[in-house]
Amino acid sequence: MEQNRGNWYLLTGLILGLALGMIYAWVISPVTEVDTHPNLLRDDYKDIYRSLISRAYQANSNLPRAEARLELIGDNDPALALAAQAQRYLAENGDTEMAKVLANLSASLQIAAGPAVTPIPPTVIAIPEEETSSTSNNGSSSENDSQDSASSTREPTSEAPTSPTPSPTSSPPFILQDSSPICDPTLGETLIQIIATDGSGGGVPGITMEISLGTDPTEIFYTGLKPELGLGYADYLAEPGLTYQLEVPDSGLIITDIEVPTCLTDSDDSYWGSWEIYITHPN
Amino acid sequence: MSRWTLFILILLLGLGLGLVYGWVVNPVSYQDTTLDSLREDYQTDYTLMVAEVYHQEGDLDWALNRLTLLEDKSPIVSVENALKFASQAEYTLPDMFLLRDLHNALKELD
Repeated sequence: MEQNRGNWYLLTGLILGLALGMIYAWVISPVTEVDTHPNLLRDDYKDIYRSLISRAYQANSNLPRAEARLELIGDNDPALALAAQAQRYLAENGDTEMAKVLANLSASLQIAAGPAVTPIPPTVIAIPEEETSSTSNNGSSSENDSQDSASSTREPTSEAPTSPTPSPTSSPPFILQDSSPICDPTLGETLIQIIATDGSGGGVPGITMEISLGTDPTEIFYTGLKPELGLGYADYLAEPGLTYQLEVPDSGLIITDIEVPTCLTDSDDSYWGSWEIYITHPN
Repeated sequence: MSRWTLFILILLLGLGLGLVYGWVVNPVSYQDTTLDSLREDYQTDYTLMVAEVYHQEGDLDWALNRLTLLEDKSPIVSVENALKFASQAEYTLPDMFLLRDLHNALKELD
């Protein structure tokens, strides 16, 4: 009896010691993280990190280095993450310049990833080919920027920065190919959709769009921020009953009288449609 | 050996095992860390990015703002640490020059 009581005493001591040890190790004095990895950063610091990578890319045009750096953050789709961050900045009326820098890197990643497709939701309007209802002057063919040699961010071996990243907006001017209302009940939103393509029909990301409404301040957005809909795609949520004006400032292209159309279903029910604008580089 | 002595010894053994478990076997896992907790090579690369942008844009205020996020004693210490690591890790000369230029600009500011 006396011996059994002693054994329980020891077990109690062991459990008490373990509990105290773990409380001290986990709560009072936990391991201090001093050598962490960028993918463990808090979300706002990841934003800062992505912004810095984008600005560094703007400075040195070294896409492999930017890719290696982005890989450290651990985003599933770095181009999408950059585009999403750019959209967030724009939506929060934040730094539009920074949004553009982010969009440019996103666009470069998408271009490097392969040929662009422009999977736009189906519409009832057929787009005339080679239409040249231009409001702008001519230009030459576009050309993507070339990149410096590859390097790892942990073992930098690249050459020094040379020139700023060629922005997609420095390409030849765009001309209007088509601007028309569309009736597509599957869209579900009243959108002004813009599709910017080059001479070969590939989407062109990073094109600055300015949309204005009467005397209201201009809002800025860019193509390529929704890569899942195509590199050259951009849209703006429009309000029915208002008349918008869209400008592509780098091309001097202005498209006016953009309105949300009224459409009819097969059973004569009315609904709000959208507006679709195609712009392209002349060949 | 008295019961109390044995109890204390077992308690200390438990304490030791608890510490080993909490610090080594299953330590606290961090998810939302800050820039100053980055490993030295990542901090160096962060500083290099700032140097790359500074080289192109020449905006020292912006560079200072970004370096402050590393929470070293001062931005110049961050760059000095980056230079040391870059030298040990045999970064290329152009990268070293970028860090050196940023370091010089910060020194002039002091």
